[in-house]
Amino acid sequence: MTTAKTGNQNQTLESMKNFAEQYAQRTGTYFCSDTSVTAVVLEGLAKHKDQLGCPLCPCRHYEDKEAEVKNTFWNCPCVPMRERRECHCLLFLTPDHPFAGKEQSIEMDYINQVRDSMK
Amino acid sequence: MSSASPVTDTSFKDDVLESEVPVLVDFWAPWCGPCRMVAPVVEEIAEQYEGQIKVVKLNTDENPQVASQYGIRSIPTLMIFKGGQRVDMVVGAVPKTTLANTLEKYL
Repeated sequence: MTTAKTGNQNQTLESMKNFAEQYAQRTGTYFCSDTSVTAVVLEGLAKHKDQLGCPLCPCRHYEDKEAEVKNTFWNCPCVPMRERRECHCLLFLTPDHPFAGKEQSIEMDYINQVRDSMK
Repeated sequence: MSSASPVTDTSFKDDVLESEVPVLVDFWAPWCGPCRMVAPVVEEIAEQYEGQIKVVKLNTDENPQVASQYGIRSIPTLMIFKGGQRVDMVVGAVPKTTLANTLEKYL
């Protein structure tokens, strides 16, 4: 693994984090009360963005990821989220959702901490 | 044997389809957030029903064959197998009672 690659991955992760914070504010949704869920999903989205060019939802199983990216339905924010504020990944939760927390932001340090704990 | 043991594409037939007791399969993936919330629930179920059912987990990234065969889309998906057949399933992060109520039907 090269440092350049690690740098890119971190940049993608940071851009996903920024996107998620802005999107939560814009849609009036909140992150999960278990913030490790948020951290893991952001990491999954960033990995897909690096691998496939698009942040495909990490909470689905796909026969063919490239085809799904072209199909666009499950690229974050997915169609169910955009149309009905439904995110089965528990990234964006409406305030009445049983798992909704109170935050619309998350620290990079914390995301990295969760990632390290999974190794 | 109180916790959910991993199964693979290779071991699925022996561990799940040919099991003498009903099997709860937790289809999960490493970067799926809600899978983290369901995992402890599945562990509790494994303890509560020890001896009555078998509880296993399958990583869909590493075992795409079984995941595709059973049409797994949204994860986590919890599937119940009895006598080699899929008899029920629960999709998403659910409370323990929901899962227990579904399971009770097949004991």
